[in-house]
Amino acid sequence: MRSLAGACLASLVLYGALFGAVLDRPLALGFLAQQIEARLARAGAVESPKLVILAGSNGAYSHRCETIEPIVGRPCVNGGIAVGIGLDYLFARWQAVLRPGDAVYLPMEEAQYVRSRSATETGPDAAIMLRHDRATLASLPDRWAGAFFAFDLRALLMSLIERALVTGGFHDPRAAVTGTSNAWGDHVGHTPTLGAASQPVLATMTPQHPSAAQVRDGYGTALIARFLRWARAHGVVAIGGWPTGFADAPLPEDEVAAIRAVYAATGAGFLELPNRSRYPRAAFFDTPDHLSEPWQIAHSVALAAALELALARSTATARTD
Amino acid sequence: MPLLGGSVAVNYAIGQRILRLAAAGRQRPARRWLVAGVAANLGLLGWFKYADFLLGTLAPGAAPLGIVLPLGISFFTFQQIMFLVDSAQGERTDSGLLPYACFVTFFPHLIAGPIVRPREIIPQFMARGVGIPCADNLSVGLTLFLLGLAKKLVLADGFAPLADVGFNAAAHGETLTLVEAWYAVLAYALQIYFDFSGYSDMAIGLARMLNVRFPLNFNSPYQARNISDFWQRWHITLSRFLRDYLYIPLGGSRCGAMRRTGNLMATMLLGGLWHGAGWCFVLWGGLHGLYLIIHHAARRAGVRVPGGRALTLLAVIVAWVPFRAATLEATLAMLRGMAGLNGLALPQMIVGAMPALAAIATPLPVLRFLGDARTLSFPEASALLALGWGIALLLPNVHAFSERARSLTLVGGFAFTLQALFFAPKVAPFLYFQF
Repeated sequence: MRSLAGACLASLVLYGALFGAVLDRPLALGFLAQQIEARLARAGAVESPKLVILAGSNGAYSHRCETIEPIVGRPCVNGGIAVGIGLDYLFARWQAVLRPGDAVYLPMEEAQYVRSRSATETGPDAAIMLRHDRATLASLPDRWAGAFFAFDLRALLMSLIERALVTGGFHDPRAAVTGTSNAWGDHVGHTPTLGAASQPVLATMTPQHPSAAQVRDGYGTALIARFLRWARAHGVVAIGGWPTGFADAPLPEDEVAAIRAVYAATGAGFLELPNRSRYPRAAFFDTPDHLSEPWQIAHSVALAAALELALARSTATARTD
Repeated sequence: MPLLGGSVAVNYAIGQRILRLAAAGRQRPARRWLVAGVAANLGLLGWFKYADFLLGTLAPGAAPLGIVLPLGISFFTFQQIMFLVDSAQGERTDSGLLPYACFVTFFPHLIAGPIVRPREIIPQFMARGVGIPCADNLSVGLTLFLLGLAKKLVLADGFAPLADVGFNAAAHGETLTLVEAWYAVLAYALQIYFDFSGYSDMAIGLARMLNVRFPLNFNSPYQARNISDFWQRWHITLSRFLRDYLYIPLGGSRCGAMRRTGNLMATMLLGGLWHGAGWCFVLWGGLHGLYLIIHHAARRAGVRVPGGRALTLLAVIVAWVPFRAATLEATLAMLRGMAGLNGLALPQMIVGAMPALAAIATPLPVLRFLGDARTLSFPEASALLALGWGIALLLPNVHAFSERARSLTLVGGFAFTLQALFFAPKVAPFLYFQF
């Protein structure tokens, strides 16, 4: 029994040492980490008051700070990366660069409200934190166990493969297939031509909406509400919004009410375009969260005008207070 | 519970009756009781497992009865048929109701086997020391349990998404190219092996912790030299049951070549049907029946087939297609992809690295039905399959491992097991629970 216990203990030590200090995934996680750090670096460099867009990849693909910035008249940073990034991690990182007077627009994907605690604990940010960002990990004790156990057998294999690919001068094809990022953090170059291959899939896709109860009880909802309270307490203007989606698959009204209620409960604003950010299927690149580039720009123009008004209102309210 | 309890009580009563009649030399009434008992067991299994299948076959369009399959019925039915047959053949002694009930309901094997003979297990329940902690058995049993758990959670569940994507696509009428189809089938072959052999190792380990020894159920089956050898290594306790309680009573190989061929095919078809009520399972059993018939014919004719090991593996893998596919149409769709009839597509990154491949393969940014269809899904799936097949083809099974090899395997796998147990996005149920 003693040798059995020793083998189990040795396994845990070996696992921790390998994934904590030796193995890494420079292509998959390195790419995400680099995207996160680039956006945070810009947010730290621009002057306040600034506008930050926080969401999943819907933020980056369907919103364009490059377009919004001159209209709202303040620096804009697009902090949307991927829906799988844990909201607790996302907010923890952005809270460090948000200042009183800054504004945050949150067109969160539906999946972000209902993402479970277990899925959040083992998302890609868990591995990023354990390997590269232990300061943030230290500030999130709920995530320690999940971060330690964020690596499965695939992670082991992919660490070796990605290291070999990078060493061998692997040319990452992602930019050629889906586009790339600009200085504002927007995803750019996702043209309708590149997206043509996905049109048959988009044409037949049936988006699934969570129920109002799932939104109300969602772990993601709790994290968003916590962030909204923090924003209010620190003089940061938080404004909710709708993610983009298919016009022929609108959100059910009870879900709409549940999402609005998340923001209303903390006194945050909620911005609604007349079309509730719904567009025809042909406007999308590869998923209902990703508008193709021309529609991204058009959506951003419409949104910027509404945001300009909302920000002016919130500034006036702040002065009155 | 009432079904299981009632079944145990009735079978024990019939078994005792048969035993007394046989002991008194009254073979004919003993045989009548045996036939009645076996028929009752099969009738019960048939009602729960095959009523909807028969209804759908005989009266297509009729509303299904919606009968829920009781957990483990396929296994505890076979256990009890063995008990009745052994009673009639005088191969057991009167042990009392409690050891018999323990034999059938012993939790490590109740749901998905191994299918053990009464004479292998009941005496162990009657021996002194059963259930009393013994350090050696605890240690060996726990080690086997943990290794089985690792097989299930780390390996089988790791291959499941790869297999599911391909087979689900085929079920939805999608067109799979050569690599997508083969990767899905190769992944399923590993998934079912690691899943079921992992379960068996856990059952053997649990029993060992209670000082009960179960027979080996898997012995590196993909290393089989021929198809007959495969069936002596795959689900050994089921093979044994089918041989001793079906094939041999049907006449086995004692009644001429034609009869032997028929017996073999009937045994394998029924073995296929035992796994599930569906024509895909019948096809799987039929394919294995055909393989065995060809193998026996070749052996009798003195034909030595070169590359027998590889051919056996290929045949077994092809037969997994109907076993896993949702329908016969999906089976055909998958086989078309495997035959290359839908062409060969490869990720751009591979064709870019090896331009000569452009002559035979269509370069695509991602393969839609390979893993999670990301840029790096192809190397990820390739590495995973290489690791899995390396383990299945090159390593002995864990029961043949030395103590040191078991410890080293635990060092490599225990942390991944904990990771999968507590932090994997989802844990799939054991595949054999559905049978």
